[in-house]
Amino acid sequence: MKNLLKSRNTGLIVVLILLLIVAGIVTPTMFGVQSLISMLQNNSVYALLAVGEMCVILTGGIDISIASQLAFVGIVCTSLSCSNPTVPGIVFVLLGLVLGALCGGLNGFLVGKLKMVPMICTLGTMYIFRGLAFVVSGGEWWFAVAYSDTYRNWAIARVLGLPAIIWIAIIVMIIAGFFQSYTTAGRRIYAIGTSRESAAVAGVNEGTVTLYAYIICGALTGLAGMLYTANYAIGYYGMAEGFEMTAIAICVLGGVSITGGKGRMDGVAIGVLIMAVVTYFISMIPGMSVWQKALQGAIIIVAVAINYFTERSAAKQALKERGALI
Amino acid sequence: MPGSNYDRDLTVKEGFVLSKFLVKWEMILVYILLALNLVLILFKTDLYFQAGTVQSIINAGLDVSPMVLGMVFILLLGDIDCSVAAQMIFGGMVTGLLMDKGVPAIIAVICGIIACMCCGAFNGACVAYLKMPAVITTISTAMLFRGIVEIVLGENSLKNFPAWYNKIGWYNIADIIPLSALLFIIMGVIFCFVLHKTTFGRRAYIVGNNPTCATYSGISVTKVKMQIFILMGFMAGIGSIFFIGRMGGGVSSSMGTGYEMTAIACAVLGGVSTNGGKGKMYGPIIATFIMAFLTYTLGLLGVDPNTKKIFTGVILILTILISTVNKQMIKDIKLKLIYHSNKNIEAINYRTIDFVKEKKAEIVEIKKSGAADADKKIAAINAEIEAAKKECAEKSAAWWAEQKADAQKAKERFSK
Repeated sequence: MKNLLKSRNTGLIVVLILLLIVAGIVTPTMFGVQSLISMLQNNSVYALLAVGEMCVILTGGIDISIASQLAFVGIVCTSLSCSNPTVPGIVFVLLGLVLGALCGGLNGFLVGKLKMVPMICTLGTMYIFRGLAFVVSGGEWWFAVAYSDTYRNWAIARVLGLPAIIWIAIIVMIIAGFFQSYTTAGRRIYAIGTSRESAAVAGVNEGTVTLYAYIICGALTGLAGMLYTANYAIGYYGMAEGFEMTAIAICVLGGVSITGGKGRMDGVAIGVLIMAVVTYFISMIPGMSVWQKALQGAIIIVAVAINYFTERSAAKQALKERGALI
Repeated sequence: MPGSNYDRDLTVKEGFVLSKFLVKWEMILVYILLALNLVLILFKTDLYFQAGTVQSIINAGLDVSPMVLGMVFILLLGDIDCSVAAQMIFGGMVTGLLMDKGVPAIIAVICGIIACMCCGAFNGACVAYLKMPAVITTISTAMLFRGIVEIVLGENSLKNFPAWYNKIGWYNIADIIPLSALLFIIMGVIFCFVLHKTTFGRRAYIVGNNPTCATYSGISVTKVKMQIFILMGFMAGIGSIFFIGRMGGGVSSSMGTGYEMTAIACAVLGGVSTNGGKGKMYGPIIATFIMAFLTYTLGLLGVDPNTKKIFTGVILILTILISTVNKQMIKDIKLKLIYHSNKNIEAINYRTIDFVKEKKAEIVEIKKSGAADADKKIAAINAEIEAAKKECAEKSAAWWAEQKADAQKAKERFSK
């Protein structure tokens, strides 16, 4: 019970419930089953991005190129599927995963093997992928009529009453949570995020681990890119601008430390829900849509500050328990 | 002898070496700038020599320039500021709103700059006092500031700005010297002086290099960081004057997205390390001009603005890669690829190379002296060199075989 009270997730759940109550009072229409499902459906892409971004942030890096990667992969999948409408959708899911993994691999190689600063490196690749998205699309826009059903079904087909994209997001989150907590490779990501030196001494190859963390991020981003175009049935080179910030915001909100090595999947899952409720709530109130950006920024700042203070007080508490004189 | 330490001459006696000066990063930047001009002259001869072309290139490219100067300081701290573009628009909005209310122009401009400085102070407080990571803080404050502009302006744009804004953007003194370039260079000289010759500038270096060391030397790290973030805000305010002037006097919430990236790219291209503590002020100033010419050249060669992004990205990554390649890295790669990650093989190879060099120098000297038995001596030395090389090759091969055998053994043991 004491642990439950101390846990950060409890606080997040309380915030989530409070938000839902406020939202329910202000806009009662929000609580229809259909509107809740569409809220989750529209935020599944963010969930995939956040899981990928989490892997990178856990290593102590940051990837701000994911929105551009998403646009690039989405455009490639869209253009190929629209010119070959008979090809089954699973091909494009795999294509998205592979292309995304390649994009992530480029980032990972530059950061992990050539030791570039993650922020600057992904800043550069952000430009590159966005430019590539434009080159591939040739400035063209694709609308709903161009998409084949087998492609779109990967996002919107109902499976057990929920759209497929929600199931995909849930499955990815479960697998990623298991991977991060219970496999050697996953623990290595935490190890290099906590302390590079001790991880290296313990025999962890820091460069390789960083590389595969970025590849995981890229693959999930690629998947998200394919599903994004399938979900909204729209594709153009400027899509998904600013999504990287939302993904980072969700991670930070969910308790992932931006300096690396701390954070769990359950927190991120709650972060996704909170972000979903906030954005959906804002979009439901007329005239509030201009507030979205400012509110999101404010939420991230407050979340980072809270993360920082809880970490510091936890460190102090640990020192006290060990009997240090402070 | 007591006190001898104090008698030592501690002045640096490097002097001016031409060969070193010519391959300095700043000089390489100058070459790139000249090369870009050459490309323009070769492919667009008529246009280049037309009156006003070069001036308009410089005018168009210099709207980020004040922010580059501030960004150098921020990067020297090892921090980064992604909110400069949002700050710039925020400052512009404050000026524009006050002008709409009929406040005198000069007061409105000063208020705009102060608003930017407040934004900078907010960033600084988060980074310096709350010790939040600069990347995430400034990314979110960028959203916050731009979000505030969105809330206040909505879809509207402000059009009421002092007339001299336009002059800063486009006026050429005597039709030759662009006013913006002149102002930029004056600011650049001031910043060079501040960074390289004052205590404040040197403090930025030491805080970036080693904050702990700076604290023990009696420098308040938080204070220095705070000052520099406020300085960045000030420069963003000045930047808003340049920007609005170039845009023809209008501000809306979606303007100037991505300018923070250009400012960072210019500073990084100018040789400022993003890890902090490394870099000079001259490089970024030249790099700003390079960016201006590069954008224009690509535009003239028919490259579409979205494709230009690829070039910007590639250039950004390449410059940083070049600056990270150093002697140690080459040595590491050699160790891995040629010497099979075996330090013994590496050591004997380096020793042999040094030995051969020494002996070859001896041969040259003997040849110079022209002694009677020169040929004999040279032959003896050559034989020595051959022997050393042979020994080195043999030993390396033996060690390599040993290492392989060890690896094989280890594999067998772990496979059981």
